[in-house]
Amino acid sequence: MTLSSLSFVFLFLPVFCLIYYLVPRRAGIVILFLGSLLFYAWGNPKNLLILLFVTLFNYGAGLEIAALKKGRRSTFLAMTTAVVGNIAVLAVYKYSSLSMPIGISFYIFSAISYLADVQMGKAKEESNPLYLAVYIAFFPKVTSGPIVRFSEMREQIRNPRISAPAAAAGLELFLVGLFKKILIADTLGAAFSSITGLGEMAAASAWLGMIFYSLQLYFDFSGYSDMAIGLARMLGFRFEKNFDYPYCSGNISEFWRRWHISLGAWFREYVYIPLGGNRCSAARQLVNLMAVWALTGIWHGSTFNFLFWGLYHGCLVLLDKFVLGNIFRAIPKWIAALITDLAVFIGWVFFFSPSLGSAFGYLGKMLGGDRLGFWNSGTSFILGQNLLLLILAVVLCTPLLRKLHDRLVFRIHPKGIFVLSFVCYGVLFVLSVAGMVSSTYSTFLYFQF
Amino acid sequence: MSGKTIVSLIIKWGALICLILLVRSEFSGNKISKTEFDTMQEKVLAEADNSVMQSADNQMIRRLYGLDPSEYEGVSLSYPITNMGAEEILLVKLKEVSQADTVLAAIESRLATQKKSFDGYGAAQTEMLESSIVDHVGNYILFVSAEDPGSVKNVFESAL
Repeated sequence: MTLSSLSFVFLFLPVFCLIYYLVPRRAGIVILFLGSLLFYAWGNPKNLLILLFVTLFNYGAGLEIAALKKGRRSTFLAMTTAVVGNIAVLAVYKYSSLSMPIGISFYIFSAISYLADVQMGKAKEESNPLYLAVYIAFFPKVTSGPIVRFSEMREQIRNPRISAPAAAAGLELFLVGLFKKILIADTLGAAFSSITGLGEMAAASAWLGMIFYSLQLYFDFSGYSDMAIGLARMLGFRFEKNFDYPYCSGNISEFWRRWHISLGAWFREYVYIPLGGNRCSAARQLVNLMAVWALTGIWHGSTFNFLFWGLYHGCLVLLDKFVLGNIFRAIPKWIAALITDLAVFIGWVFFFSPSLGSAFGYLGKMLGGDRLGFWNSGTSFILGQNLLLLILAVVLCTPLLRKLHDRLVFRIHPKGIFVLSFVCYGVLFVLSVAGMVSSTYSTFLYFQF
Repeated sequence: MSGKTIVSLIIKWGALICLILLVRSEFSGNKISKTEFDTMQEKVLAEADNSVMQSADNQMIRRLYGLDPSEYEGVSLSYPITNMGAEEILLVKLKEVSQADTVLAAIESRLATQKKSFDGYGAAQTEMLESSIVDHVGNYILFVSAEDPGSVKNVFESAL
């Protein structure tokens, strides 16, 4: 089941919320657990076994590490076998010929976060397997994150803060995410497909394709994240945002502080800092950074283009850190943002291409490799068909509408705000449902990772 | 070693053993084949009696099975030349394993329709349909209704 499917919006979510809000608080954890299992098993029950065994494995490993720590004995072997076990399961499913269980990259990283937090003393071990299962399998985040660290979620699982204002804010965020996914990302996806379906294309068409995909990826993944964070809030959990207008970043380091924030934080916390972080020689820092970026690439996929994409971003970050940082700070922010976006968008070509060779082939098309000139009638047609969408998407990549909304909220009478919000979110919901009904099923791009 | 540590070790390694067994069973039953669709099609059809079947175009696949070939990595259908024939071979290479349910449902529906068509007068055809084979391995699905469906199935599985 996906968060943007009709069965989720009209069946699972209302029934689940009704039961969750009505049962006594102490029983809420059981409902969360059962609901999460049902959500995950929907459509492919076999994958549930993997999720349950991974949870049990980490439950045992967490208890073992905690017991060794209490006895003042070395946890090295216990921690190593546990992490290797998790990575081995992930690698087998991700890089072999087996079909990959949805969300495995996300929930395995959550599980490692649990072990690391216990090992580093950031959180106490979880003695109740039900709580750990809810942390790993929590349905809003199990399929595509955000990868919430165990230390951030432990107390919330024990004591979710359910309130009407939080539920309303969560519902608003969910609706915004649904709108981003259904009406923006999926429409951009169709535009991108119309370009890649061309085979041969003018250079400008290839550039348009790259821009469409870059925008689609942002709205698809940030839409999912908004929905997940909104749902969590409705259920009494508060997660940090996973995207913060990344395409407005003035340099590549800033971009990575705003894009898939939870994955960046995971790598920083559990890989970069343990390797020595910034507190080491420049040469060591360089090695650490490239190791983290190589791992980030490999996390996304097994083919060379993902490794290349990771190393490409590693090089960009190094350039920003050691060479170009001061220049980017000196030039106007909007120019810096445009240059940063250009570098990021070129990186996405390696993301959407099935192999390294085809990625370079596509970059060749952007330089006129198909010998159809810079612009042709096909380019005009595609641009004409999608111009409004493109403008809307670009505007929504900036905080412009959010600022406008906030200004209005402070100017209008409270009763007026309520009516205006109700109307706005109602319209978003109706439009999104219309999109869900009329379009064919479209999965989230990040499900493949 | 304390009792708590022993329990935790049993849970940890017990769960890991279960995971290994699960992965092993998946490797034997849910292999994602990298065999090219054209190669597979060639091998499967070479084993069948093509004199009683004709190749279907996309429109016919849509009509008989309700499947849109453009949504799959590859779809090939050989169906009877005459209305009195029950020989049929459908070969599908999925783009995503999640598409399997749709294809299997389509095969089930087609099989039910064919059985209904021959019910009461076509004993040989009904018998052939009864002994037909649906084989789903990872990203490939084969439906074969023929004199000797087992031999086609064997070729299919060895080509995966």
